[in-house]
Amino acid sequence: MTTEPTVRTVTLTIDGRRVTVPAGTTVYQAARAAGIEIPIFCYHDRMPPLGACRMCLVKVDRMGKLQTSCTLPAGDGMVVSTTDPEVIAGQEAILEFLLINHPLDCPICDKGGECPLQDQTFRWGPGRSRFVEAKRDFAKPVSLGPILALDRERCILCWRCVRFGEIIAGDDALKGFERGWVSEINTPFTLPVESKFIGNTIAICPVGALTSRTYRFRARPWDNEPVPSTCTHCGLGCAVWFDVRGGEIVRTRAREAPAVNDVWLCDLGFFGHDYVASGERLTAPMVRRDGRLTEASWEEALDLVATRLRQARDRDPRRVAFLGGRRLSNEDALVAARLFGEVVGTPHRDHRVDAPPGGASLEVAWGLRAPLEEIGRGEVFLLVGCDVTEEYPILWLRMKAAVDRGAALLLLHARRLEVRRHARWERVVRADRLADETVSLAEALERGAAAGSPAAPAVAALAAGRGVHVFVGRFGLDGPGGGAVLAAAARIAARSGGTLHIARGKGNDLGAQRFGVLPGAGGWAAPEILQRAAAGDLDVLYVAGSDPATAVTDRRAWEAARRGVGFLVVHEAFRSATAEVADVVLPALVLPEKDGTVTNLEGRTLPLRAAVRGPGAARGDREIFSLIAARLGALFTYGTGDEGFAALRAAAPGIAPGAVLPVAPVPARSADRTAAPPTGASAGGAALILAPIDHLFTQGATTGRCRGITALAGAPHCLIHPDDAARLGVEPGALVELATEHGAAVLQARVTDATAPGQVLLPRGFDAVAAHALVRWPHAVAEVAVRPLAAVSAGSLP
Amino acid sequence: MATFAMPESILLRWAQTPGMTELEPYREAGGYEAARRVAAGELTPEAVIEALVASGLRGKGGAGFPTGQKWKFIPRNAPVTYVVVNGDEGEPCTFKDRTLLEGCPHLLVEGVLIAALTVGARKAYIYLRREFYRARRTLEAALAQARAAGLVGRGVFGSARDVEIVVHSGAGAYIAGEETALLESLEGRRALPRLRPPFPAQAGLYQRPTLLNNVETLCHVPVILTLGPQRYKDCGPPALFSVSGHVVRPGVYEAPLGVKLRSLIFDYAGGLRPGRRFKAAFPGGSSSMLLTEEYLDVPMDYDSLRVLGSMLGSAAVIVIDDSADMVEVIARTVEFYREESCGKCTPCREGTIWATQVLERILHGRGRPEDLTLLEGIAKGMTGTCFCPLGESVPPSLVASLRHFRDEYERHIAGAARDH
Repeated sequence: MTTEPTVRTVTLTIDGRRVTVPAGTTVYQAARAAGIEIPIFCYHDRMPPLGACRMCLVKVDRMGKLQTSCTLPAGDGMVVSTTDPEVIAGQEAILEFLLINHPLDCPICDKGGECPLQDQTFRWGPGRSRFVEAKRDFAKPVSLGPILALDRERCILCWRCVRFGEIIAGDDALKGFERGWVSEINTPFTLPVESKFIGNTIAICPVGALTSRTYRFRARPWDNEPVPSTCTHCGLGCAVWFDVRGGEIVRTRAREAPAVNDVWLCDLGFFGHDYVASGERLTAPMVRRDGRLTEASWEEALDLVATRLRQARDRDPRRVAFLGGRRLSNEDALVAARLFGEVVGTPHRDHRVDAPPGGASLEVAWGLRAPLEEIGRGEVFLLVGCDVTEEYPILWLRMKAAVDRGAALLLLHARRLEVRRHARWERVVRADRLADETVSLAEALERGAAAGSPAAPAVAALAAGRGVHVFVGRFGLDGPGGGAVLAAAARIAARSGGTLHIARGKGNDLGAQRFGVLPGAGGWAAPEILQRAAAGDLDVLYVAGSDPATAVTDRRAWEAARRGVGFLVVHEAFRSATAEVADVVLPALVLPEKDGTVTNLEGRTLPLRAAVRGPGAARGDREIFSLIAARLGALFTYGTGDEGFAALRAAAPGIAPGAVLPVAPVPARSADRTAAPPTGASAGGAALILAPIDHLFTQGATTGRCRGITALAGAPHCLIHPDDAARLGVEPGALVELATEHGAAVLQARVTDATAPGQVLLPRGFDAVAAHALVRWPHAVAEVAVRPLAAVSAGSLP
Repeated sequence: MATFAMPESILLRWAQTPGMTELEPYREAGGYEAARRVAAGELTPEAVIEALVASGLRGKGGAGFPTGQKWKFIPRNAPVTYVVVNGDEGEPCTFKDRTLLEGCPHLLVEGVLIAALTVGARKAYIYLRREFYRARRTLEAALAQARAAGLVGRGVFGSARDVEIVVHSGAGAYIAGEETALLESLEGRRALPRLRPPFPAQAGLYQRPTLLNNVETLCHVPVILTLGPQRYKDCGPPALFSVSGHVVRPGVYEAPLGVKLRSLIFDYAGGLRPGRRFKAAFPGGSSSMLLTEEYLDVPMDYDSLRVLGSMLGSAAVIVIDDSADMVEVIARTVEFYREESCGKCTPCREGTIWATQVLERILHGRGRPEDLTLLEGIAKGMTGTCFCPLGESVPPSLVASLRHFRDEYERHIAGAARDH
C-alpha cells in the first residue's frame, strides 16, 4: 500500500491570523492566500521574486529590519505584521520615492484607471508631495519598435518587462541600460524590439510606461466592455478578453487559462483584431452580373446559390464540392458538413485548403496528441520542420519553462529558429535534405550514434526515453519528401517512447476536422477537388472560412480550378482574392463576431463569444448554410447555448466545454518512403532552391488589415544566405527579383545565416508577393534565380 | 610630539620589500611554502580551516565575516566549486588591495592556491577593478611566472591537483564590489546584486558553490599558515588601514586590529596639517558612519565601531579637518552613491538622487529650513529598506552630519534667506 506523499506545511501568523501554507511559500503568497493584501510592483507571480521595488515590506518578529514579503519564505511560527506603523512608514517612503520622478499625467495616461501605482498611491500613499525639485524629464515617447512605445519618465524600473524576456519568453527583448537614477529600459543595441510576445510586457507594466501604438490614447479602461472569448489565429486557442468600446474591439488582452495560455498571449493575439472593424468589410451580398460583382439582396443571392446547388445535385451531387473551415466555428463546420454531406449529398469536402497533393499532411489527422500542460512537463522536444515561435508561439512558452528545468530542445529545420540559443542540438539543412536528415536521425537513434558524432547529443536525449515529444510541422509534412519526414519522425517517437504531434492547422482547422469538413466515402481531398474542378468535373465549388486564392500552395492550380468550375460561391468578410473571382459572394461574420465554440490544436473545445456585431447585412456562416439548406428543402434548427452544444456532442461524443477530447494517435507506419527530389535542385550544388515558409506576422486579407501586425510583418522579403548573397552581389536589404520557371517576384532580400546556403526562404502570407505563384505542384520547392535590382535613388526629383 | 615607533609589519612588508613582484625573491623569503604543504597534503583542508578559525581572521572587504567560517560553508562533495577573489576595491579612499597587488602579487596567488586546494576548486577568478591597470600587469606577470614554475595550472606543485587562475577586469562600477553583483558581472551581465539566499557558498558563480574573498583577506592566509594562528594573533592581529584626507602622511599602514583611531591619524599618518583642527573621520570608508572628535579614542575593531553605529568596513580612514565644509563633504559623498547606485531598488535609486538634489540646493544658497527635516526623512526612508548595503550606507553619515554639524547646514540656509 502506498501513501500519498505529504506536503510539508508551515504555520505562521499574519496580522493576528494563523495561516498554514506549504513549505516554500513566500510570506507575500501566504498573506494573499489568507486574503491579506500586500502592495507590490516588481513581483509577478509567474516569475521568481526579485525584491527590487521594496514595496511589499512587512515586519517580522525577531527580525531587525523590515523584510520584503515577496522574497521571504514563510517560516513555522513566524509572526508577521503588514500594518505595523513601521511597515506603513516604510511603504509610504517607497511610494514617495517612486512618485518623486513619476509624472502625474494620469488624466492622459493609458494606464489610468487600471494602474497599480495609481491604486496604491490612492490607498497607501502620502497625501502631498515633499518633492520640490524638477522631475526627471525625457523626450517622449521612445519608439522601441513597430508596436511598442516607452514613456521613460513614467517607468518605475520594476524590471518586470526585462525579466519577462529573460524568464518567460527567453528572447531578451528588453534590457536595462545605464545605471542608478538614469537607468532606463531599452532594446539591445537600440534596434527595433525583436519579440513575438511584447504585448505581455505592456500588460504586466505596473504603470503606463510601455504602451502599444495601436491602443495608445484610444480608450479609458472604464469605458471598455471586456468580452471573454478565444483567439482564433494560430490554432492554440488562447483565452482572451476583447475590450470593446463604441462597437469596436479596441484591445485584446490575455484571459487567464492555466491549461492553455496561462496568462500570456503572443503579439498576433494582442494586435490581431483590427481587421474586424475594417471599413473594407463586406456588408451586402454580391452577385456576378455581366462579368462584374454587383450588390444584391440576400434573397436574390441565396436563391441563386440554392438554384445552382439544386441543379448540380439533380445532375450528380458529386459535382459539388466544399472547401474551407479554418475560419468557421465548430457549429458552422457542423452545419456545413451536414449541408454538403446530407442535403447536397457530396463527399467532396475538405478544410485542408493549404495542403499540397503530395504532402504528408493529407495522410494524417492534424493536432497535438497531448494536452499543453503535459507537453509542458516534457523532457525532450524534437521539432522537425516546425518553427514553433512563427507558428504556435504560446507552445514555446511551455517549452521554454521546461528547458529552464533541464529539458532538451532539439531542432531540425531548413532554417535557424530564433529559439536556437535554448537548443541542445540544432541541425539546419537545405529543404531538400530535411527528409534525409530526419531519416538519418531515426537510424542513429535505432542503431546508436557514435560518441562525438554530430547527432550524438540528440540521440542521447531521445534515447533517455522520458517525456519525449516529437513535433512535425507544416514545413516537415509538406516540404520535399514530407512522407519520409513523417515516417522517420514516427520511428523516432516510437523508439523513444515519445508522442508524435502533428503541428498543423490554424484557426479552427481542428474543429473542421472534427465536425466533418473532410472527404466522405470516395470523396476528394482539397488538391484533388481543385484538379477535378480544373478538369470540368465540378459544377459548383463552395468556399467558406478560407481564401483558397491565396492559401492553395500552387496558384495556378487554383486558377485552373476557378476556370474549370461553372459556379463559385464564397462566404467572405473582405473582397479577398477568392471573392474577387467568385460568382456569388456572401458577406460573412468573422469569428470575434460569433457565439459558439472552436476546437484548438489539442482537441480542446473553447468558447467564442460575440464581442461586436457584424457590419451591415453580414451574417454568420451557420445562418447562411441554414438558409440555403431551407431552400433545398432541409430545415436545420441550430440552437445556441446548450442546445447547440448538444448537436456538437452528438457529432463528437465526449466533447465538453473547456476539455480536451484527444485527436486519434498517429497510426504507426510500416513502409518508409523516399523523398521526391525537387525540380532541378538535386542536379547541381550551385543551384539555388526556393522554399516557402510560414511567418507569424504576415500581410494577408486579415493580418494586412491589422495595423500592428502589418507593421510587425514589415516589407515583403526573402531570406538569403550571406555566401549566396556575396556570390550573387546581393546587398542586405536590397531589392531582388526571384525568378523560377513558373513566375517571378520582386522583394527585399534579408541576408542572414538563418537560412541554409543554397536556399532562399520566402515567407508566405504577404499578399503583395505570391509565394504560391513561384512553386508548382507536385513540387514543394523550385529552382530559383536571384537577380539584384539596381538601387533606385531615393532622392528628390531634380 | 612624542616619537612613535611603528610595530614591525608581517603582511605589508611583503609588499614593501623591493623585488617581491618576482617569483624567486618571494620563494627565497619562504613564499609558496604554505601552498606547497597544502598541495602535498601535509596540511589537510581541515587543518587549514582550523588555523583560519583559530586566527580569528575576518573578511577585509567590508562585511567582516569570519573567514574560516566562510571556508567551512563550501560543500565538500560538489562536482564544481569556484574561488572568486574580490579585487574590485571600489570603496572611496581604500587602496590597501592595490598596494598588495602591485607590491607582492605572489602573496595573493599563494592565498588563492591555498583557498582552491582547500575547498576543492579547480578554477579561480580574480576580479579586478577596471582602473587597476598596473596591478593587473604585475599580477599577470606573477601568474605567468607561477604557471611556468608549475605552481598554477595543471598538477600544481607536482601534485595531481589542477588550479587554473583567471584574471578579469570589471567595467568600472562600484556596485561590482558587492559580492553577488560581482558574480553577475563576472558572468557577463550588468552588475546588479542578487537575492540572498542562496548565498554564494551554496550557489554562486554559474550557480555553483563559490568561495568569495577579498584580496587582503587571502593575502593573510599564507601568513597565518606560515606563522601559525597564535603568533599571527600575537602580532596584532595585523590589519591594513588606508589613511587619507587631511593628514600629513596619507598611506597604507599595518597596525594591530583595535588600534585607536587617534593613533592611526596622529602617530601613523603624521597628524593633521599645522594649525588645523580635527573635525570628523569616516573610519571604514565612505560607507561607514562618520565619527566626530569625541570618538577619537575608539579602538579600530569590528565590534567597537559597530556599537557606535559605524563599522570597520574596508578600514579606510578618511580624515576631515576644520577647513572642510561638512555640507559639501556630505553632498559629495551622497553624490558618489547616486552615481554608483545600480538602480535596481527604489529607495537607493531615488533616495540618492533626491538627497543630492536637496544638498546641492542648500549648497547653492537655495536651502529652506524644512530641508533639514526633509533630509532626515529621506534618510529614514532609505534606512532598512534598500536591497543591498550600497543604499544603506548613505543614511548613517547623512544623519550624523545633520546631528553634529547642523549649524553648518543652518548657516547655508540662513545665508540663503539673507540673500533673498
